[in-house]
Amino acid sequence: MPAANRLTLYYAADTPFPHRVRLALEEAGAKYDLILIELSNKPDWYAKKVYPLAKVPVLVYGGPALHEDEAPSPEAATITESSVILEFLADLFPDLLPADPVLRAKARFFIKTVDEKFSKTFFKFVIFGGSMDEMLDAVAEMQALLPDTGFAVGAWSIADAAFAPFLVRLESLLRKNFCAFADGVAEKTLTELQAPTFARVWRYLEENVARESMAKTWDETDALAEINRRVVSIQSAAQNNQ
Amino acid sequence: MPETLTLYTAKVCPYAQRAEIALAEAKVPFTRYEIDLQNKPEWYAPKVNPASKVPAIAYGGPQVPPDQPSPESTKLAESLVLVEFIADLYPNANLLPADPVLRAKARFFIDGVSTKLVPAWHNFLQGKGSVEDLYKAVEYLQEQLPAEGGFAVGQYSIADIAITPFLARARVGLINELGAYPEGEGKKVWEALSSGQGRLARFGKYVTDLLNRDSFKATFDEAYITERQKARYANARAQQ
Repeated sequence: MPAANRLTLYYAADTPFPHRVRLALEEAGAKYDLILIELSNKPDWYAKKVYPLAKVPVLVYGGPALHEDEAPSPEAATITESSVILEFLADLFPDLLPADPVLRAKARFFIKTVDEKFSKTFFKFVIFGGSMDEMLDAVAEMQALLPDTGFAVGAWSIADAAFAPFLVRLESLLRKNFCAFADGVAEKTLTELQAPTFARVWRYLEENVARESMAKTWDETDALAEINRRVVSIQSAAQNNQ
Repeated sequence: MPETLTLYTAKVCPYAQRAEIALAEAKVPFTRYEIDLQNKPEWYAPKVNPASKVPAIAYGGPQVPPDQPSPESTKLAESLVLVEFIADLYPNANLLPADPVLRAKARFFIDGVSTKLVPAWHNFLQGKGSVEDLYKAVEYLQEQLPAEGGFAVGQYSIADIAITPFLARARVGLINELGAYPEGEGKKVWEALSSGQGRLARFGKYVTDLLNRDSFKATFDEAYITERQKARYANARAQQ
């Protein structure tokens, strides 16, 4: 069922959080507009006219078509926080979550585990030299939540929207030997992840990547270039604060 | 027709009370089993919740005594996941409005409770955070309350269920001056949070409304919580 009102998503290419929303919008078959915000070079108008905290994603629901340097109209709803946006889209497009309350609860538990545990370990590993073992443990924890086949709760759902962007970035960064990793870490970690212990999550990643929603929303070259720019600036800011 | 439901809970725990309030709002029969958090039964982690925390729900499967959970029931954990589960199971309880925008507002409010209010409260309680930081966190939520009155998104919802147990326990601590903050601060802070006057006036009205809700009152044992907090925080100031 199509949404009655216009949907506009402010997004960036590097961070996984807006990617979650783009996946859900594509899977829903929604019509929507995109406005790119380069986080490594934030435009002043974004905080002033759209969202004072200047983060992405931001979803605007309703009101007229938006362009850069414009404020959403007062009658539009501005929704922030990726997990909140995912639930909002599941309310607009019910196919994004199963109808069964138990499966919905499992999907939410999955999302919460990504938000509260996996994402923290991921950023620590990718940006701040966090340990390989901790990263592998975090992947194993998510893998243990997957059913034997299919997606997080069987049919594709917002639970997969929440996790796949992290997995796809992890795999890309490792395979391309991202500059922030210490010597040999990327290769070692990738080898571990390709072992039989992780066969289930590897298959899960491949099945997510095979979907049209990922093909339409993931440009590896673009994303890695932007991740590089941002991580370098985050790391130098952290060093300057020491 | 929903199946059998057993809630593993503990009176002292604010997270667990969220699930208890939601079930009380739904007015449905369920089995309540108290877990002694300081002496957990050895079957609890392996058979109900590997994280060994409350609340947890065992849903469906055969009728069994709560201390002999069946492998056939579905085990669910995490208080906010359980509150959404109860909202899904019992739509007549109206724990969320029908409008998707208001539902998003409820979930955004809950995110603020988790990421801003609860940490600021714990910091203040432990003498690690200033009262100003606490008031800023409260103001962040206050700004989201409808000016004309009512609950977080107008009608009572999961947003109110998420915050109430924390406010209730904060009240007990503050009026009894339990915590690492200076003696005498407690009553002042509770007055600021609840009086309905001054900087936090709207929030004060909200607090009154929350603590007057039947589902809260039915699931809150103030004497027990007071006794437990006195035991826990007796030396908090001395340890500073």
